[in-house]
Amino acid sequence: MINFTINGQPVTAQKGETILQAARKAGFYIPTMCYLEKTTPCASCRLCVVETDKTDGFILSCQTPPTEGLSVTIDSENLKAERTNIMRLYDVNHPLECGVCDKSGACDLQNKTLEFGVSAQHFSAKEQHRTIEHWGLINYDPSLCILCEKCVHVCNEIIGDDAIELQFGGYKSSVVPKNSEKLDCTFCGECIAVCPVGALVSSDFQYSANAWELTQIPATCAHCSAGCSLVYEVRHTSNALGAKPKIYRVTNDFEHATLCGAGRFGFDFGSEGAKDEAELARAVDAIQEHKAIRFSSLITNEEAYILQKLKESAGIKLYNEEARAYQDFMKAYGSISGKKSTGGSIDAVAKSDGVIVFGGRIATDNPALRYAMTTAARHNGAKVVYMHPLEDALLQNVVTQYVKYEVGTEEGVAAMLAKTLLKEADVSEETRRYFDDLDEGYLCAESNVGDEEFERISKTFARTKRKTLIIGSDLLSHGRAQNIARLCAMIEAYTDFSVVVAAPSVNTVGVSLICDLDADGANVKAVGYNAHGVYTMGSFGNVQLRLPALNSQEGTFVSINHQVLPTNVAVAFEGYTLNDVASRLGVSSANTIDYTAQLPVSSGFSGSEFDALGNFYGPLGEDRRGYVLENVDVEADGELEEVEDLPEFNGTVVYRCNPVNQFNAYTAQSRQLEKDTALRGSAQFAAAAKIANGDKIRVEFGSGSEERMFVLDGEMKGTVALVPSYDGAYGAANDRYRFEKVKISRVGSEV
Amino acid sequence: MSKVYFSTWRGEQINNIGKADEEWEKSAYNLPLEYNEHASSKAFIGWDGVALFSPDVDVVRLATEYAAQYQVYSEACGRCAPGRWGGRILYDLLDKIARGEGALSDMEHLKEVSKTMQETSKCEIGKTVPNPLLDLMNHFESEFMACIEGQKPSKHYHMHDTNYIAKITAPCMDACPAHVDIPAYIEGVRDLRFDDSLMATRQTMPLAHTCGRVCPHPCETECRRTNLDEAISIMELKRLGADYETDHGFGFFHPAQKKPSIGKKVAVIGAGPAGLTGAYYLALEGVDVDVYEELPVLGGEVAVGVPEYRMPIDKYNQDIEAVRDLGVNFITNTKVTADMMRQFENDYDAVLVATGTRISKKVYCDNERPEIQGYWGAIDFLDKVNLQVKYDIMVPEADQKRHMLPANFVDLSGKTLACVGGGFTSMDVVRCAIRAGAKKVIMLYRRDEATIIKNTTYEEYHEAVEEGVEFIFHSAVAKMNDENDVLKSLTVDRFELVPDPNGGRPTLEKIDGASFDIDVDYLIPAVSQSADLKLLPEEWEIERTSWATIKTNGKDYMTSRKGIFAAGDCEYGPMTIVNAVGQAKRAASVMARYVQSGEITLSDDEIMEDHLRKLKVYDKKEKIKGWLPGLPRAHSEVLTVDERKDNNREVKYGFTQEEALAEAERCMRCYYIAMVAH
Ligand SMILES: Cc1cc2nc3c(=O)[nH]c(=O)nc-3n(C[C@H](O)[C@H](O)[C@H](O)COP(=O)(O)OP(=O)(O)OC[C@H]3O[C@@H](n4cnc5c(N)ncnc54)[C@H](O)[C@@H]3O)c2cc1C
Ligand code: SF4
Ligand code: SF4
Ligand code: SF4
Ligand code: SF4
Ligand code: SF4
Ligand code: FES
Repeated sequence: MINFTINGQPVTAQKGETILQAARKAGFYIPTMCYLEKTTPCASCRLCVVETDKTDGFILSCQTPPTEGLSVTIDSENLKAERTNIMRLYDVNHPLECGVCDKSGACDLQNKTLEFGVSAQHFSAKEQHRTIEHWGLINYDPSLCILCEKCVHVCNEIIGDDAIELQFGGYKSSVVPKNSEKLDCTFCGECIAVCPVGALVSSDFQYSANAWELTQIPATCAHCSAGCSLVYEVRHTSNALGAKPKIYRVTNDFEHATLCGAGRFGFDFGSEGAKDEAELARAVDAIQEHKAIRFSSLITNEEAYILQKLKESAGIKLYNEEARAYQDFMKAYGSISGKKSTGGSIDAVAKSDGVIVFGGRIATDNPALRYAMTTAARHNGAKVVYMHPLEDALLQNVVTQYVKYEVGTEEGVAAMLAKTLLKEADVSEETRRYFDDLDEGYLCAESNVGDEEFERISKTFARTKRKTLIIGSDLLSHGRAQNIARLCAMIEAYTDFSVVVAAPSVNTVGVSLICDLDADGANVKAVGYNAHGVYTMGSFGNVQLRLPALNSQEGTFVSINHQVLPTNVAVAFEGYTLNDVASRLGVSSANTIDYTAQLPVSSGFSGSEFDALGNFYGPLGEDRRGYVLENVDVEADGELEEVEDLPEFNGTVVYRCNPVNQFNAYTAQSRQLEKDTALRGSAQFAAAAKIANGDKIRVEFGSGSEERMFVLDGEMKGTVALVPSYDGAYGAANDRYRFEKVKISRVGSEV
Repeated sequence: MSKVYFSTWRGEQINNIGKADEEWEKSAYNLPLEYNEHASSKAFIGWDGVALFSPDVDVVRLATEYAAQYQVYSEACGRCAPGRWGGRILYDLLDKIARGEGALSDMEHLKEVSKTMQETSKCEIGKTVPNPLLDLMNHFESEFMACIEGQKPSKHYHMHDTNYIAKITAPCMDACPAHVDIPAYIEGVRDLRFDDSLMATRQTMPLAHTCGRVCPHPCETECRRTNLDEAISIMELKRLGADYETDHGFGFFHPAQKKPSIGKKVAVIGAGPAGLTGAYYLALEGVDVDVYEELPVLGGEVAVGVPEYRMPIDKYNQDIEAVRDLGVNFITNTKVTADMMRQFENDYDAVLVATGTRISKKVYCDNERPEIQGYWGAIDFLDKVNLQVKYDIMVPEADQKRHMLPANFVDLSGKTLACVGGGFTSMDVVRCAIRAGAKKVIMLYRRDEATIIKNTTYEEYHEAVEEGVEFIFHSAVAKMNDENDVLKSLTVDRFELVPDPNGGRPTLEKIDGASFDIDVDYLIPAVSQSADLKLLPEEWEIERTSWATIKTNGKDYMTSRKGIFAAGDCEYGPMTIVNAVGQAKRAASVMARYVQSGEITLSDDEIMEDHLRKLKVYDKKEKIKGWLPGLPRAHSEVLTVDERKDNNREVKYGFTQEEALAEAERCMRCYYIAMVAH
């Protein structure tokens, strides 16, 4: 703790905190233009200068930690004069055409220019001609750019794409794509978010609306289980011609939170509905007839609770294989850890200095986890061990050790990993014996992971202090998921690792905590709610009864942080809701959100009313969104089982995983998101399957078949191909183990 | 002392305007009066003032050009608002005045912008560019006013009779013998752009892992932060970029794309730091390089001299692989002879000799007969240790016998070893001896503790003491005592420092009757090394220095024979890695031009580099503005004695990310821009 003063008033700073951070905490205002709380200081704007009693001249508050007893002045006449001059410099040649600029009304330059009372251009320099760059979803106008470097910092330090850089050239400096002509990145759009002026803008949004015409609706992203906070910006111009309210864009509180491209650009998935009595009656009949509902986890907690009540009151069976797998996994996990949930979070990953990722394609499964890993790698120098049969190029600048194991051998790998990490742990004699008795030779040989690789993990983690283990969704649906869960739970229970599970879908966690799920089967008849069925209802595809999509609903989700997060209605939905359907079946309440307070306390819910839940970050980044579930105790009566013989996956094997920014039927609908539906494989795969780049192929799975294009991916290696699942042709990614042996035949070739 | 017409350099006020030539007052600084052998300079202008060497300088144009250089050439600018726009405005306004279109208000605006730049720029370059401009505007106001009032161009505005050569530097960069762009690589760390950091280092220093570990860092002695509190831990911050590349298994981040082959061939003799560096930069320029190395392994003394616990070989190999990655061809187990050299002269377009100094000098005591068993030169001793520890190359049977080893590696269990030295080499000998299990290890040193610390480092000495090395100061071996050519004991003389009654330097004098004997099994002389130059054909009559190394002019590194170059320890005498790197980098640059044009030339950048080094960029008297003092230098953790003394684990952990960032944050980006008009 460091004690110092600002303008004579006592202030304290934590070790590592800068003068600016301490000042903000204490409620002092120091002007900045380039400061971004979540990155290292860009230190380019120089507005944050302050004076002290121990220095000659000004110092930068954003990059200087205070020293004990320092006396800081933040607003002398001198400082004001120089800050004003800096603003005058900013205004040199910045075209004063705010009328046509997207940022107008929300522009930092405009605001600061006003704040410092700078009027006409005080200084001038020779004009230079500069052209606007069009980079797909993003436009860049160098003449508006104030070169604050925020975009560059966020792309490198938080996102990890490291796709843009500053080209230095004094006055001619500009932002350029790094190592390529055109921007080639994952299009998270975070650079747009942090840009303080109108230099980086969404090409879709540009010129479509003014900032002040839009209403901000705070909500939770409906695409993956990270539950990022976002704001739908809606124009409510219902006019005589029948123009409907519409989401124009998504923004975020970029100082404290981050979005991926799906969250930012994939907002237009809504569906319209009307109240058709007859259809509602058919839906009710269908449910009564089949006494079963199959549903996806694109659902709020309140809706899940309605389904559970239907089950309890009317004996309706509930099918959701992906959530059931998660539920079983967590049950087995809890039988060792004695807790209902794991203890980790995305934030814990971001703060860690050692991360193990096991069994998932995290970068695209859950971008928020990727960003947390990037943050950890850059800011904490975290060591990142990535264990998976397939290498992921998106993570190269994060991963420090890649451990490749054979498809299907996860149980063996989990056993070896647990043994490695528990080497020094204080476990029972029985557990010690279990690990001592493992047939290492066999496990290493079959999984193809050498003992030296585990040895290296052991060494790496001997010196890390804040460790996290990320469990990917491959493990949840593995044939030996439960023993894998128990092995992983050992790690969290007996070491200082905290564990986070990358649950496969938006509200998998919530569903698993609320619903009693039944085992589904191949020919089981059920009504589908955003899932296939004999009768279908929901918000995508050609469903029979239209219900509101997740951007037209209020309710809550549970994220992988075990946080209960509220979401709100961006555009109103005219038709029925699940609540209306349930009312006809005898489970009724006025509003869906009346159920928020009834969510089961036994699963850790708090009983809070929906309206009591916050949905924002405090000025210093305090998370005021919803609440965190209580991690309820459960009985720790589980035992490790022998590792079974490790399976072999020979022949043509595919792995279900989505391309960047694609997750589900919602993102598949979204206008701006790229829709790559090809099966991608290496040259080795192509040779084995006897197919070539551009071929139209038929893929036969255990449960059906589909046609796709084949794309030969030069960057890929090995014999496993990637098949997308977001386009729904083949159902959800995580109903079954993500790797599958398939038959591939050539149907034709693309011209 | 320089003869100048006018100077405000470093605050001096020399004004010989209107004085007769012989009355001129001289400047106290080594200003670059002669640009090179072909041209004398007219003026020098830089961060700390301006000097004119003749009355005929167009000062308005000079000011304009300096502002232009800042705008056009400075890579360092563009990163903060005041520097970027301010610099442009300075240039635009000065040029307007120089063209004859200026207004009185422009002078005011110039001063106003200057002040904002001085107070708020991100780095020293932006803060200091206005300094000499304001000097000129103050002292030669009339010339500026003449342009404004007469609305006429300055006197040389339309003439092209002067060259303006600028160079970016920094105190630390100037002091580093390899002139590494230190502020850039530290900035890379601070911005978490580790690839940029490494590429900045590799512009002039290919051995990033190595110089991030075992460089004696002369740069830190001239770090400007010293004036505020403590020097930046420059050396260790280099590791972050290198580790980033290695840890993530990226390819190599070279500072530039390798040029396509230009069809010229160079032979490099010796694969030590000098040879590797020469090969690296020649290859980048598209020259085909063959490197000949006598040993079975690459790396020179850093591979076979510097021990594993200080410089892990897997890291050094990473640096070496970066060189190989450019297509350099290595030929090991090949000792180049005079005959081969004669042949090379025909086969190659140029030859770089980088053979180091691998002969251990004698201690000059009585009975110092090399055939006595137990007498073992430091270089050979360390060769044997390192080849086994790092490469599993065992000691051949003959040597095993010769050195009384019980096994085929250096096992000193139960033995007593004495080393004579006091520098890095001797320190490595004694610490390796501890690790080889010696019962007792003694270091004999003529001078005192303070001097040994000065010659090595505090940490190195302290760690050796911790590990159990016994230091006997003020001592020297007088005689080796043997039985049948097997060493049994040493007779050691003691000395004392006797102050000179006349106030001169104290002298070391032997204390009569204080000599004593110690029983030892080994005596390792590690006083210094000399060069083995038998590979140079006698008839070439290549000139030598007085200490028997190869002579060059220290600028272009060509020997007295055309086309034969020399760099590193064989040129300088036993020195440091970074010295070898700096020399070889320069030699490679000269050679790359020589193989194409047949001429020996220096680039403007290199000429300026040498001028600035002579002038010295660091000013230890400068008072620092704009930075808060009292932020402590970060220190990385080391293994405890028990964790390290019986093995070869790297002793230093290196910075944690947190430490590294805090340390990088302290760096003040002391870039400066200097310019000569000639
Ligand atoms: C024990 C020890 C510790 C040291 N520690 C440090 C330190 O911590 N930091 C530091 O900066 N410096 C240190 N130095 C100094 C540093 O190692 C040298 O300054 C540096 O290696 C010189 O590089 P070089 O390329 O000129 O010569 P060397 O590194 O000596 O390389 C010369 C190479 O040429 C080869 N060679 C010689 N003759 C022939 C021939 N005829 N044909 C073919 N090949 C030949 C040799 O085998 C050798 O590999 C240390 C030196 C020693 C001996
Ligand atoms: S969209 Fe995201 S990944 Fe692409 S440049 Fe911007 S910040 Fe980087
Ligand atoms: S594009 Fe925007 S965020 Fe990026 S440097 Fe320019 S002004 Fe800053
Ligand atoms: S898809 Fe996931 S990571 Fe992307 S914004 Fe939505 S919740 Fe966040
Ligand atoms: S503070 Fe940084 S730039 Fe300045 S001399 Fe030291 S290392 Fe170099
Ligand atoms: S190479 Fe050595 S002298 Fe040069 S910067 Fe690095 S540590 Fe300093
Ligand atoms: S906030 Fe400190 S320089 Fe911009």
